[in-house]
Amino acid sequence: MKREQKKKLQAYWFVLPALVFFLLLIAYPLVKVLVDSFQYKTLLNPGQSAFAGFANYLNVIKGEYFSTALWNTVIWTFLSVAGEYVLGITSALALNQNVKGRGFFRGVIVIPWVVPIVVAGMTWQWMLAPDYGIINNWLVNIGILDEPYYWLGETDTALLTVTFVNIWRSFPFYTISLLAALQSVPKELIEAAVIDGAGIRTRFFKIILPQLKSVSLVLIFIHIIWTAVNFEFIWIMTEGGPLHASETLPIQIYRLAMKEFNVGAASSLASIMLVMMIIGFGAYFLITTLKRRNIKKRSEMT
Amino acid sequence: MILNKRQRFWTKIVTYAVLLFFAVYCLFPFIWMTVTALKPIDEIRSSKPSFLIDSPTLENFKNVLFNTGFLTFFKNSLIVSVAATIITLLISIFAGYALSRFMRFKGIKATGGAMSLSQMVPPVLLLIPLYVLMQQYNLLNTHYSLILAYTTFMVPLCTFMLKGFFDSVPYEMEEAAEIDGCSRVRIIFQIVLPISIPSLLATSLFAFVNSWNEYMFGFVFINDEAQRTLTPGITLFKGLYTTDWGSIMSASVLAVIPIAVIFMYLQKYLIEGMAAGSVKG
Repeated sequence: MKREQKKKLQAYWFVLPALVFFLLLIAYPLVKVLVDSFQYKTLLNPGQSAFAGFANYLNVIKGEYFSTALWNTVIWTFLSVAGEYVLGITSALALNQNVKGRGFFRGVIVIPWVVPIVVAGMTWQWMLAPDYGIINNWLVNIGILDEPYYWLGETDTALLTVTFVNIWRSFPFYTISLLAALQSVPKELIEAAVIDGAGIRTRFFKIILPQLKSVSLVLIFIHIIWTAVNFEFIWIMTEGGPLHASETLPIQIYRLAMKEFNVGAASSLASIMLVMMIIGFGAYFLITTLKRRNIKKRSEMT
Repeated sequence: MILNKRQRFWTKIVTYAVLLFFAVYCLFPFIWMTVTALKPIDEIRSSKPSFLIDSPTLENFKNVLFNTGFLTFFKNSLIVSVAATIITLLISIFAGYALSRFMRFKGIKATGGAMSLSQMVPPVLLLIPLYVLMQQYNLLNTHYSLILAYTTFMVPLCTFMLKGFFDSVPYEMEEAAEIDGCSRVRIIFQIVLPISIPSLLATSLFAFVNSWNEYMFGFVFINDEAQRTLTPGITLFKGLYTTDWGSIMSASVLAVIPIAVIFMYLQKYLIEGMAAGSVKG
Protein backbone atom coordinates (compact mmCIF):
# COMPACT_ATOMS: atom_id res chain seq x y z
CA MET A 1 0.00 0.00 0.00
CA LYS A 2 2.87 2.29 0.83
CA ARG A 3 4.25 1.91 -2.65
CA GLU A 4 0.91 2.90 -4.10
CA GLN A 5 0.89 5.99 -1.86
CA LYS A 6 4.32 6.95 -3.06
CA LYS A 7 3.25 6.55 -6.66
CA LYS A 8 0.23 8.71 -6.06
CA LEU A 9 2.31 11.49 -4.59
CA GLN A 10 4.70 11.29 -7.50
CA ALA A 11 1.88 11.38 -10.03
CA TYR A 12 0.56 14.53 -8.40
CA TRP A 13 3.98 16.14 -8.63
CA PHE A 14 4.07 15.28 -12.31
CA VAL A 15 0.83 17.06 -13.15
CA LEU A 16 1.44 19.96 -10.78
CA PRO A 17 3.14 22.33 -13.27
CA ALA A 18 0.45 21.73 -15.87
CA LEU A 19 -2.20 22.28 -13.22
CA VAL A 20 -0.57 25.52 -12.06
CA PHE A 21 -0.55 26.84 -15.61
CA PHE A 22 -4.17 25.85 -16.04
CA LEU A 23 -5.35 27.45 -12.80
CA LEU A 24 -3.32 30.64 -13.15
CA LEU A 25 -3.67 31.38 -16.84
CA ILE A 26 -6.92 29.74 -17.88
CA ALA A 27 -9.23 29.11 -14.91
CA TYR A 28 -8.49 32.35 -13.08
CA PRO A 29 -8.81 34.58 -16.19
CA LEU A 30 -12.02 32.79 -17.07
CA VAL A 31 -13.48 33.59 -13.67
CA LYS A 32 -12.12 37.10 -14.04
CA VAL A 33 -14.02 37.58 -17.30
CA LEU A 34 -17.23 36.57 -15.57
CA VAL A 35 -16.59 38.83 -12.59
CA ASP A 36 -15.54 41.80 -14.72
CA SER A 37 -18.63 41.46 -16.85
CA PHE A 38 -20.62 42.67 -13.85
CA GLN A 39 -18.30 45.62 -13.13
CA TYR A 40 -17.87 49.06 -14.54
CA LYS A 41 -14.23 48.85 -15.45
CA THR A 42 -11.88 50.47 -17.92
CA LEU A 43 -8.30 49.88 -18.95
CA LEU A 44 -7.54 53.57 -18.53
CA ASN A 45 -7.98 53.24 -14.81
CA PRO A 46 -7.44 49.59 -14.02
CA GLY A 47 -7.66 49.93 -10.26
CA GLN A 48 -11.11 51.43 -10.26
CA SER A 49 -14.28 49.46 -10.66
CA ALA A 50 -17.83 49.45 -9.41
CA PHE A 51 -20.57 46.89 -9.41
CA ALA A 52 -22.66 47.24 -12.53
CA GLY A 53 -25.14 44.41 -12.34
CA PHE A 54 -26.36 43.55 -15.77
CA ALA A 55 -25.72 47.06 -17.14
CA ASN A 56 -22.77 45.92 -19.28
CA TYR A 57 -24.77 43.10 -20.75
CA LEU A 58 -27.66 45.39 -21.60
CA ASN A 59 -25.34 47.96 -23.13
CA VAL A 60 -23.59 45.36 -25.23
CA ILE A 61 -26.77 43.74 -26.47
CA LYS A 62 -28.42 47.07 -27.17
CA GLY A 63 -25.21 48.33 -28.80
CA GLU A 64 -25.57 49.61 -32.32
CA TYR A 65 -23.43 46.89 -33.85
CA PHE A 66 -24.23 43.88 -31.70
CA SER A 67 -26.84 42.40 -34.03
CA THR A 68 -24.62 43.12 -37.04
CA ALA A 69 -21.72 41.34 -35.38
CA LEU A 70 -23.89 38.41 -34.34
CA TRP A 71 -25.28 38.02 -37.85
CA ASN A 72 -21.81 38.41 -39.37
CA THR A 73 -20.50 35.72 -37.04
CA VAL A 74 -23.25 33.35 -38.17
CA ILE A 75 -22.63 34.02 -41.88
CA TRP A 76 -18.87 33.86 -41.52
CA THR A 77 -19.00 30.61 -39.58
CA PHE A 78 -21.64 28.91 -41.72
CA LEU A 79 -20.15 29.80 -45.10
CA SER A 80 -16.61 29.05 -43.96
CA VAL A 81 -17.42 25.62 -42.58
CA ALA A 82 -19.66 24.70 -45.52
CA GLY A 83 -17.08 25.81 -48.10
CA GLU A 84 -14.23 24.11 -46.26
CA TYR A 85 -16.15 20.86 -46.08
CA VAL A 86 -17.03 20.84 -49.76
CA LEU A 87 -13.46 21.60 -50.83
CA GLY A 88 -12.08 19.22 -48.21
CA ILE A 89 -14.14 16.25 -49.31
CA THR A 90 -13.59 16.94 -53.01
CA SER A 91 -9.84 17.11 -52.60
CA ALA A 92 -9.81 14.08 -50.29
CA LEU A 93 -11.79 12.00 -52.80
CA ALA A 94 -9.42 13.01 -55.59
CA LEU A 95 -6.35 12.26 -53.47
CA ASN A 96 -7.80 8.88 -52.56
CA GLN A 97 -7.71 7.79 -56.22
CA ASN A 98 -4.77 5.85 -57.44
CA VAL A 99 -2.98 8.50 -59.49
CA LYS A 100 0.61 9.42 -60.15
CA GLY A 101 2.10 12.23 -58.09
CA ARG A 102 -0.24 11.74 -55.16
CA GLY A 103 2.45 12.62 -52.66
CA PHE A 104 3.19 15.84 -54.51
CA PHE A 105 -0.47 16.87 -54.66
CA ARG A 106 -0.96 16.04 -51.01
CA GLY A 107 2.02 18.15 -50.03
CA VAL A 108 0.81 21.08 -52.12
CA ILE A 109 -2.74 20.97 -50.81
CA VAL A 110 -1.56 21.05 -47.20
CA ILE A 111 0.56 24.19 -47.71
CA PRO A 112 -2.09 26.91 -47.14
CA TRP A 113 -2.83 25.52 -43.72
CA VAL A 114 0.79 25.65 -42.55
CA VAL A 115 1.58 29.28 -43.24
CA PRO A 116 0.87 32.01 -40.69
CA ILE A 117 -2.59 33.51 -41.02
CA VAL A 118 -0.88 36.89 -41.22
CA VAL A 119 1.02 35.93 -44.34
CA ALA A 120 -2.00 34.30 -45.96
CA GLY A 121 -4.20 37.30 -45.19
CA MET A 122 -1.75 39.87 -46.47
CA THR A 123 -0.90 37.98 -49.62
CA TRP A 124 -4.57 37.75 -50.55
CA GLN A 125 -5.00 41.39 -49.66
CA TRP A 126 -2.29 42.19 -52.16
CA MET A 127 -3.79 39.98 -54.85
CA LEU A 128 -7.20 41.55 -54.29
CA ALA A 129 -5.92 45.13 -54.25
CA PRO A 130 -8.05 47.39 -56.43
CA ASP A 131 -5.28 49.24 -58.25
CA TYR A 132 -2.40 46.82 -58.70
CA GLY A 133 -4.00 43.51 -57.71
CA ILE A 134 -3.73 40.63 -60.11
CA ILE A 135 -7.20 39.23 -59.48
CA ASN A 136 -8.96 42.45 -60.39
CA ASN A 137 -6.74 42.77 -63.41
CA TRP A 138 -7.70 39.32 -64.63
CA LEU A 139 -11.39 39.79 -63.93
CA VAL A 140 -11.36 42.98 -65.97
CA ASN A 141 -9.35 41.36 -68.78
CA ILE A 142 -11.70 38.40 -69.02
CA GLY A 143 -14.60 40.81 -69.04
CA ILE A 144 -16.33 39.74 -65.83
CA LEU A 145 -15.80 43.19 -64.32
CA ASP A 146 -15.93 46.52 -66.06
CA GLU A 147 -13.48 48.08 -63.69
CA PRO A 148 -11.41 46.94 -60.68
CA TYR A 149 -13.44 46.33 -57.57
CA TYR A 150 -12.31 47.00 -54.01
CA TRP A 151 -13.30 43.58 -52.67
CA LEU A 152 -12.23 44.19 -49.08
CA GLY A 153 -13.28 47.81 -48.96
CA GLU A 154 -16.93 47.64 -49.93
CA THR A 155 -19.54 46.84 -47.32
CA ASP A 156 -21.31 44.22 -49.38
CA THR A 157 -18.26 42.11 -50.25
CA ALA A 158 -15.79 42.57 -47.37
CA LEU A 159 -17.08 39.73 -45.19
CA LEU A 160 -17.59 37.35 -48.11
CA THR A 161 -14.10 38.00 -49.42
CA VAL A 162 -12.52 37.29 -46.04
CA THR A 163 -14.64 34.16 -45.80
CA PHE A 164 -13.35 33.03 -49.18
CA VAL A 165 -9.75 33.46 -48.04
CA ASN A 166 -10.46 31.69 -44.78
CA ILE A 167 -11.84 28.72 -46.72
CA TRP A 168 -8.68 28.69 -48.80
CA ARG A 169 -6.53 28.48 -45.72
CA SER A 170 -8.57 26.09 -43.61
CA PHE A 171 -9.84 23.38 -45.95
CA PRO A 172 -6.58 21.36 -45.98
CA PHE A 173 -7.26 20.28 -42.41
CA TYR A 174 -10.47 18.63 -43.65
CA THR A 175 -8.58 17.11 -46.55
CA ILE A 176 -6.10 15.40 -44.26
CA SER A 177 -8.71 14.12 -41.82
CA LEU A 178 -11.17 12.99 -44.48
CA LEU A 179 -8.43 11.33 -46.50
CA ALA A 180 -7.40 9.33 -43.45
CA ALA A 181 -11.03 8.29 -42.97
CA LEU A 182 -11.51 7.46 -46.66
CA GLN A 183 -8.54 5.14 -46.62
CA SER A 184 -10.24 3.04 -44.00
CA VAL A 185 -13.46 2.62 -46.01
CA PRO A 186 -13.45 -1.08 -47.00
CA LYS A 187 -12.83 -1.50 -50.74
CA GLU A 188 -15.14 -4.55 -50.88
CA LEU A 189 -18.06 -2.37 -49.92
CA ILE A 190 -17.58 -0.12 -52.92
CA GLU A 191 -16.89 -3.01 -55.26
CA ALA A 192 -20.08 -4.73 -54.15
CA ALA A 193 -21.99 -1.54 -54.88
CA VAL A 194 -20.46 -1.31 -58.35
CA ILE A 195 -21.53 -4.90 -59.09
CA ASP A 196 -25.03 -4.01 -57.95
CA GLY A 197 -24.97 -1.24 -60.53
CA ALA A 198 -24.65 1.77 -58.24
CA GLY A 199 -23.58 4.90 -60.14
CA ILE A 200 -21.03 7.37 -58.91
CA ARG A 201 -23.61 9.50 -57.21
CA THR A 202 -25.29 6.63 -55.39
CA ARG A 203 -21.93 5.30 -54.31
CA PHE A 204 -20.95 8.67 -52.92
CA PHE A 205 -24.14 9.49 -51.04
CA LYS A 206 -25.16 5.98 -49.95
CA ILE A 207 -21.81 4.43 -49.13
CA ILE A 208 -18.89 6.82 -48.82
CA LEU A 209 -20.60 9.71 -47.08
CA PRO A 210 -22.21 7.54 -44.36
CA GLN A 211 -18.79 5.98 -43.72
CA LEU A 212 -17.36 9.44 -43.17
CA LYS A 213 -20.16 10.54 -40.92
CA SER A 214 -18.44 10.42 -37.54
CA VAL A 215 -15.24 12.08 -38.76
CA SER A 216 -17.28 14.73 -40.55
CA LEU A 217 -19.34 15.50 -37.47
CA VAL A 218 -16.26 15.99 -35.31
CA LEU A 219 -14.56 18.10 -37.99
CA ILE A 220 -17.55 20.32 -38.56
CA PHE A 221 -18.23 20.76 -34.89
CA ILE A 222 -14.65 21.67 -34.02
CA HIS A 223 -14.50 24.10 -36.90
CA ILE A 224 -17.77 25.78 -36.05
CA ILE A 225 -16.19 26.68 -32.71
CA TRP A 226 -12.78 27.58 -34.12
CA THR A 227 -14.26 29.72 -36.86
CA ALA A 228 -16.78 31.51 -34.69
CA VAL A 229 -14.05 32.62 -32.28
CA ASN A 230 -11.41 33.37 -34.90
CA PHE A 231 -10.00 36.84 -34.51
CA GLU A 232 -6.89 37.02 -36.64
CA PHE A 233 -8.18 36.55 -40.16
CA ILE A 234 -10.75 39.28 -40.13
CA TRP A 235 -8.57 41.62 -38.12
CA ILE A 236 -5.66 41.34 -40.52
CA MET A 237 -7.70 41.72 -43.68
CA THR A 238 -10.33 44.33 -42.79
CA GLU A 239 -10.11 45.11 -39.05
CA GLY A 240 -13.88 44.52 -39.04
CA GLY A 241 -14.53 47.28 -41.52
CA PRO A 242 -15.61 49.00 -43.63
CA LEU A 243 -18.25 50.49 -41.36
CA HIS A 244 -18.42 47.32 -39.22
CA ALA A 245 -19.44 45.33 -42.31
CA SER A 246 -17.13 42.46 -41.42
CA GLU A 247 -17.16 42.81 -37.64
CA THR A 248 -17.79 39.52 -35.86
CA LEU A 249 -18.17 39.02 -32.12
CA PRO A 250 -14.46 38.37 -31.42
CA ILE A 251 -13.56 41.53 -33.33
CA GLN A 252 -16.11 43.42 -31.32
CA ILE A 253 -14.66 42.06 -28.07
CA TYR A 254 -11.29 43.32 -29.19
CA ARG A 255 -12.64 46.70 -30.23
CA LEU A 256 -14.49 47.19 -26.94
CA ALA A 257 -11.43 46.28 -24.90
CA MET A 258 -8.48 47.67 -26.82
CA LYS A 259 -10.02 50.62 -28.65
CA GLU A 260 -12.67 51.78 -26.24
CA PHE A 261 -10.88 50.42 -23.15
CA ASN A 262 -14.22 49.24 -21.80
CA VAL A 263 -13.20 46.06 -19.96
CA GLY A 264 -16.65 45.58 -18.46
CA ALA A 265 -18.43 45.60 -21.80
CA ALA A 266 -15.79 43.47 -23.48
CA SER A 267 -15.97 40.97 -20.62
CA SER A 268 -19.72 40.70 -20.83
CA LEU A 269 -19.54 40.10 -24.58
CA ALA A 270 -16.89 37.45 -23.95
CA SER A 271 -19.16 35.90 -21.33
CA ILE A 272 -22.04 35.85 -23.79
CA MET A 273 -19.83 34.02 -26.28
CA LEU A 274 -18.71 31.66 -23.56
CA VAL A 275 -22.30 30.80 -22.70
CA MET A 276 -23.07 30.22 -26.38
CA MET A 277 -20.12 27.85 -26.60
CA ILE A 278 -21.12 25.98 -23.48
CA ILE A 279 -24.63 25.55 -24.90
CA GLY A 280 -23.10 24.37 -28.16
CA PHE A 281 -20.84 21.85 -26.45
CA GLY A 282 -23.68 20.72 -24.21
CA ALA A 283 -25.93 20.09 -27.20
CA TYR A 284 -23.15 18.26 -29.00
CA PHE A 285 -22.37 15.95 -26.12
CA LEU A 286 -26.05 15.33 -25.48
CA ILE A 287 -26.61 14.34 -29.10
CA THR A 288 -23.55 12.14 -29.31
CA THR A 289 -24.23 10.35 -26.02
CA LEU A 290 -27.86 9.82 -26.95
CA LYS A 291 -26.77 8.38 -30.27
CA ARG A 292 -24.22 6.14 -28.65
CA ARG A 293 -26.86 4.89 -26.26
CA ASN A 294 -29.23 4.22 -29.15
CA ILE A 295 -26.60 2.26 -31.02
CA LYS A 296 -25.85 0.28 -27.89
CA LYS A 297 -29.54 -0.48 -27.39
CA ARG A 298 -29.92 -1.53 -30.97
CA SER A 299 -26.92 -3.80 -30.84
CA GLU A 300 -28.19 -5.30 -27.59
CA MET A 301 -31.54 -6.02 -29.19
CA THR A 302 -30.11 -7.86 -32.16
CA MET B 1 -12.06 -1.94 -58.71
CA ILE B 2 -14.50 -3.18 -61.28
CA LEU B 3 -15.05 -0.39 -63.77
CA ASN B 4 -15.01 -0.65 -67.50
CA LYS B 5 -12.22 0.91 -69.46
CA ARG B 6 -14.08 4.01 -70.53
CA GLN B 7 -15.28 4.76 -67.02
CA ARG B 8 -11.80 4.29 -65.66
CA PHE B 9 -10.42 6.69 -68.25
CA TRP B 10 -12.88 9.42 -67.36
CA THR B 11 -12.42 8.94 -63.63
CA LYS B 12 -8.73 9.45 -64.16
CA ILE B 13 -9.20 12.58 -66.24
CA VAL B 14 -11.57 14.10 -63.70
CA THR B 15 -9.26 13.21 -60.83
CA TYR B 16 -6.27 14.83 -62.47
CA ALA B 17 -8.31 17.90 -63.37
CA VAL B 18 -9.51 18.25 -59.79
CA LEU B 19 -6.02 17.76 -58.36
CA LEU B 20 -4.56 20.22 -60.79
CA PHE B 21 -7.18 22.78 -59.87
CA PHE B 22 -6.41 22.36 -56.18
CA ALA B 23 -2.67 22.56 -56.76
CA VAL B 24 -3.04 25.85 -58.61
CA TYR B 25 -5.55 27.17 -56.09
CA CYS B 26 -3.26 26.36 -53.16
CA LEU B 27 0.04 27.41 -54.69
CA PHE B 28 -1.04 30.49 -56.59
CA PRO B 29 -0.75 32.97 -53.69
CA PHE B 30 2.74 31.73 -52.87
CA ILE B 31 3.91 32.05 -56.42
CA TRP B 32 2.47 35.54 -56.63
CA MET B 33 4.08 36.38 -53.30
CA THR B 34 7.49 35.27 -54.53
CA VAL B 35 7.09 36.99 -57.90
CA THR B 36 6.18 40.25 -56.19
CA ALA B 37 9.11 39.93 -53.82
CA LEU B 38 11.48 39.70 -56.76
CA LYS B 39 10.05 42.63 -58.71
CA PRO B 40 11.42 46.18 -58.73
CA ILE B 41 9.05 48.86 -57.47
CA ASP B 42 7.90 50.19 -60.83
CA GLU B 43 6.88 46.69 -61.93
CA ILE B 44 4.99 46.11 -58.68
CA ARG B 45 3.11 49.32 -59.22
CA SER B 46 2.16 48.44 -62.73
CA SER B 47 -1.49 48.53 -63.62
CA LYS B 48 -0.90 45.44 -65.76
CA PRO B 49 0.47 42.95 -63.23
CA SER B 50 2.11 39.92 -64.77
CA PHE B 51 3.94 36.79 -63.68
CA LEU B 52 6.89 37.70 -65.83
CA ILE B 53 9.54 39.88 -64.26
CA ASP B 54 11.41 42.14 -66.63
CA SER B 55 14.32 42.86 -64.36
CA PRO B 56 14.30 40.62 -61.29
CA THR B 57 15.92 42.16 -58.24
CA LEU B 58 16.80 41.27 -54.67
CA GLU B 59 16.29 44.90 -53.68
CA ASN B 60 13.14 44.12 -51.67
CA PHE B 61 14.87 41.37 -49.71
CA LYS B 62 17.83 43.64 -49.06
CA ASN B 63 15.54 46.39 -47.90
CA VAL B 64 13.64 44.06 -45.55
CA LEU B 65 16.78 42.56 -44.08
CA PHE B 66 18.78 45.73 -43.57
CA ASN B 67 16.41 48.69 -43.35
CA THR B 68 13.59 47.30 -41.24
CA GLY B 69 13.20 45.53 -37.93
CA PHE B 70 12.77 42.23 -39.72
CA LEU B 71 15.82 40.52 -38.27
CA THR B 72 14.93 41.67 -34.77
CA PHE B 73 11.38 40.39 -35.19
CA PHE B 74 12.70 37.13 -36.56
CA LYS B 75 15.06 36.71 -33.63
CA ASN B 76 12.30 37.54 -31.14
CA SER B 77 9.96 35.02 -32.73
CA LEU B 78 12.69 32.42 -32.58
CA ILE B 79 13.40 33.10 -28.89
CA VAL B 80 9.75 33.07 -27.91
CA SER B 81 8.85 30.00 -29.97
CA VAL B 82 11.84 27.95 -28.84
CA ALA B 83 11.34 28.88 -25.19
CA ALA B 84 7.61 28.17 -25.31
CA THR B 85 8.26 24.85 -27.03
CA ILE B 86 10.84 23.71 -24.50
CA ILE B 87 8.73 24.68 -21.48
CA THR B 88 5.62 23.16 -23.02
CA LEU B 89 7.47 19.95 -23.72
CA LEU B 90 8.91 19.67 -20.20
CA ILE B 91 5.53 20.22 -18.59
CA SER B 92 3.66 18.02 -21.04
CA ILE B 93 6.05 15.09 -20.77
CA PHE B 94 5.41 14.74 -17.05
CA ALA B 95 1.71 15.53 -17.24
CA GLY B 96 1.23 13.24 -20.23
CA TYR B 97 3.10 10.46 -18.48
CA ALA B 98 0.99 10.83 -15.35
CA LEU B 99 -2.21 10.86 -17.39
CA SER B 100 -1.08 7.80 -19.27
CA ARG B 101 -0.01 5.70 -16.26
CA PHE B 102 -1.93 6.98 -13.25
CA MET B 103 -5.46 7.64 -14.42
CA ARG B 104 -6.59 5.44 -11.52
CA PHE B 105 -5.96 8.32 -9.09
CA LYS B 106 -8.90 10.65 -8.82
CA GLY B 107 -6.84 13.84 -8.76
CA ILE B 108 -5.03 12.89 -11.93
CA LYS B 109 -8.30 12.09 -13.63
CA ALA B 110 -9.72 15.44 -12.55
CA THR B 111 -6.67 17.28 -13.87
CA GLY B 112 -7.06 15.48 -17.16
CA GLY B 113 -10.69 16.53 -17.33
CA ALA B 114 -9.86 20.14 -16.54
CA MET B 115 -7.19 20.16 -19.22
CA SER B 116 -9.44 18.73 -21.89
CA LEU B 117 -12.04 21.35 -21.02
CA SER B 118 -9.44 24.10 -21.25
CA GLN B 119 -8.70 23.01 -24.82
CA MET B 120 -12.12 24.33 -25.67
CA VAL B 121 -11.62 27.82 -24.27
CA PRO B 122 -10.77 30.11 -27.17
CA PRO B 123 -7.84 32.48 -26.61
CA VAL B 124 -9.76 35.56 -27.69
CA LEU B 125 -12.07 35.21 -24.68
CA LEU B 126 -9.08 35.25 -22.34
CA LEU B 127 -7.35 38.11 -24.09
CA ILE B 128 -8.53 40.86 -21.75
CA PRO B 129 -7.90 39.20 -18.37
CA LEU B 130 -4.52 37.95 -19.58
CA TYR B 131 -3.66 41.43 -20.76
CA VAL B 132 -4.59 42.91 -17.39
CA LEU B 133 -2.68 40.15 -15.62
CA MET B 134 0.45 40.82 -17.65
CA GLN B 135 0.04 44.51 -16.98
CA GLN B 136 -0.17 43.94 -13.23
CA TYR B 137 3.02 41.89 -13.19
CA ASN B 138 4.81 44.26 -15.56
CA LEU B 139 5.22 41.60 -18.18
CA LEU B 140 3.79 43.57 -21.09
CA ASN B 141 6.41 44.27 -23.75
CA THR B 142 8.51 41.36 -22.61
CA HIS B 143 9.03 37.98 -24.17
CA TYR B 144 7.87 36.38 -20.93
CA SER B 145 4.27 37.44 -21.55
CA LEU B 146 4.20 35.63 -24.88
CA ILE B 147 6.08 32.59 -23.64
CA LEU B 148 3.60 32.23 -20.79
CA ALA B 149 0.58 32.67 -23.04
CA TYR B 150 1.81 30.27 -25.72
CA THR B 151 2.83 27.67 -23.17
CA THR B 152 -0.58 27.89 -21.53
CA PHE B 153 -2.43 27.22 -24.73
CA MET B 154 -0.07 24.51 -25.94
CA VAL B 155 0.26 22.45 -22.75
CA PRO B 156 -3.17 20.78 -22.81
CA LEU B 157 -2.94 19.75 -26.45
CA CYS B 158 0.65 18.54 -26.18
CA THR B 159 -0.13 16.67 -22.99
CA PHE B 160 -2.86 14.72 -24.75
CA MET B 161 -0.72 14.07 -27.78
CA LEU B 162 2.05 12.69 -25.57
CA LYS B 163 -0.39 10.73 -23.43
CA GLY B 164 -1.58 9.02 -26.59
CA PHE B 165 1.98 8.12 -27.53
CA PHE B 166 2.95 6.99 -24.03
CA ASP B 167 -0.11 4.74 -23.93
CA SER B 168 1.47 2.66 -26.66
CA VAL B 169 4.71 2.16 -24.71
CA PRO B 170 4.45 -1.19 -22.86
CA TYR B 171 4.48 -0.93 -19.10
CA GLU B 172 6.32 -4.22 -18.46
CA MET B 173 9.68 -2.70 -19.21
CA GLU B 174 9.12 0.01 -16.67
CA GLU B 175 8.07 -2.51 -14.04
CA ALA B 176 11.31 -4.37 -14.49
CA ALA B 177 13.28 -1.18 -14.08
CA GLU B 178 11.21 -0.26 -11.06
CA ILE B 179 12.04 -3.56 -9.36
CA ASP B 180 15.69 -2.82 -10.01
CA GLY B 181 15.20 0.33 -7.95
CA CYS B 182 15.15 2.82 -10.78
CA SER B 183 13.46 6.11 -9.91
CA ARG B 184 10.36 7.19 -11.82
CA VAL B 185 12.03 10.24 -13.33
CA ARG B 186 14.92 8.10 -14.51
CA ILE B 187 12.47 5.60 -15.98
CA ILE B 188 10.87 8.38 -17.98
CA PHE B 189 14.13 9.76 -19.28
CA GLN B 190 15.95 6.48 -19.88
CA ILE B 191 13.19 4.14 -20.98
CA VAL B 192 10.07 5.95 -22.12
CA LEU B 193 11.47 9.01 -23.87
CA PRO B 194 14.10 7.30 -26.03
CA ILE B 195 11.38 5.08 -27.55
CA SER B 196 9.12 8.07 -28.08
CA ILE B 197 11.50 10.32 -29.99
CA PRO B 198 9.33 10.55 -33.15
CA SER B 199 6.34 11.53 -31.03
CA LEU B 200 8.38 14.06 -29.10
CA LEU B 201 9.48 15.52 -32.38
CA ALA B 202 5.93 15.77 -33.64
CA THR B 203 4.74 17.40 -30.44
CA SER B 204 7.52 19.92 -30.26
CA LEU B 205 7.14 20.83 -33.93
CA PHE B 206 3.48 21.34 -33.43
CA ALA B 207 4.12 23.63 -30.49
CA PHE B 208 6.81 25.49 -32.39
CA VAL B 209 4.74 26.06 -35.53
CA ASN B 210 1.80 27.24 -33.50
CA SER B 211 3.91 29.72 -31.54
CA TRP B 212 5.65 30.90 -34.68
CA ASN B 213 2.35 31.55 -36.45
CA GLU B 214 0.53 33.17 -33.52
CA TYR B 215 -0.51 36.74 -34.07
CA MET B 216 -3.11 38.02 -31.61
CA PHE B 217 -1.13 37.89 -28.37
CA GLY B 218 2.00 39.08 -30.08
CA PHE B 219 0.05 42.00 -31.45
CA VAL B 220 -1.64 42.95 -28.17
CA PHE B 221 1.05 42.23 -25.57
CA ILE B 222 4.02 43.75 -27.35
CA ASN B 223 4.21 47.41 -28.26
CA ASP B 224 7.92 47.81 -28.16
CA GLU B 225 9.70 47.57 -31.50
CA ALA B 226 12.68 45.78 -29.97
CA GLN B 227 10.57 42.99 -28.47
CA ARG B 228 8.08 42.50 -31.27
CA THR B 229 7.65 39.13 -32.95
CA LEU B 230 7.49 38.37 -36.63
CA THR B 231 3.79 38.01 -37.41
CA PRO B 232 2.67 41.34 -35.95
CA GLY B 233 5.92 42.81 -37.26
CA ILE B 234 5.05 42.04 -40.87
CA THR B 235 1.66 43.72 -40.63
CA LEU B 236 3.40 46.91 -39.57
CA PHE B 237 5.14 47.16 -42.93
CA LYS B 238 1.78 48.34 -44.15
CA GLY B 239 2.23 52.06 -43.96
CA LEU B 240 -0.64 54.38 -43.32
CA TYR B 241 -0.78 55.80 -46.83
CA THR B 242 1.39 53.76 -49.11
CA THR B 243 1.92 50.07 -48.77
CA ASP B 244 5.29 48.70 -49.73
CA TRP B 245 4.06 45.38 -51.10
CA GLY B 246 7.50 44.42 -52.33
CA SER B 247 8.87 44.47 -48.79
CA ILE B 248 5.80 42.84 -47.27
CA MET B 249 5.97 39.99 -49.74
CA SER B 250 9.73 39.54 -49.25
CA ALA B 251 9.21 39.45 -45.50
CA SER B 252 6.41 36.92 -46.01
CA VAL B 253 8.61 34.71 -48.12
CA LEU B 254 11.31 34.82 -45.44
CA ALA B 255 8.78 34.09 -42.68
CA VAL B 256 7.26 31.14 -44.51
CA ILE B 257 10.54 29.47 -45.45
CA PRO B 258 11.44 28.06 -42.02
CA ILE B 259 7.95 26.66 -41.54
CA ALA B 260 7.80 25.23 -45.04
CA VAL B 261 11.17 23.55 -44.69
CA ILE B 262 10.35 22.08 -41.30
CA PHE B 263 6.99 20.92 -42.53
CA MET B 264 8.24 19.29 -45.70
CA TYR B 265 10.70 17.20 -43.76
CA LEU B 266 8.39 16.20 -40.98
CA GLN B 267 4.85 16.46 -42.23
CA LYS B 268 4.16 12.78 -41.66
CA TYR B 269 4.84 13.02 -37.92
CA LEU B 270 3.03 16.29 -37.60
CA ILE B 271 -0.17 15.05 -39.22
CA GLU B 272 -0.13 11.82 -37.23
CA GLY B 273 0.44 13.75 -34.04
CA MET B 274 -2.33 16.19 -34.84
CA ALA B 275 -4.76 13.38 -35.46
CA ALA B 276 -3.80 11.65 -32.22
CA GLY B 277 -4.05 14.78 -30.12
CA SER B 278 -6.97 16.74 -31.42
CA VAL B 279 -9.37 14.07 -32.53
CA LYS B 280 -8.95 11.54 -29.75
CA GLY B 281 -8.13 14.02 -26.97
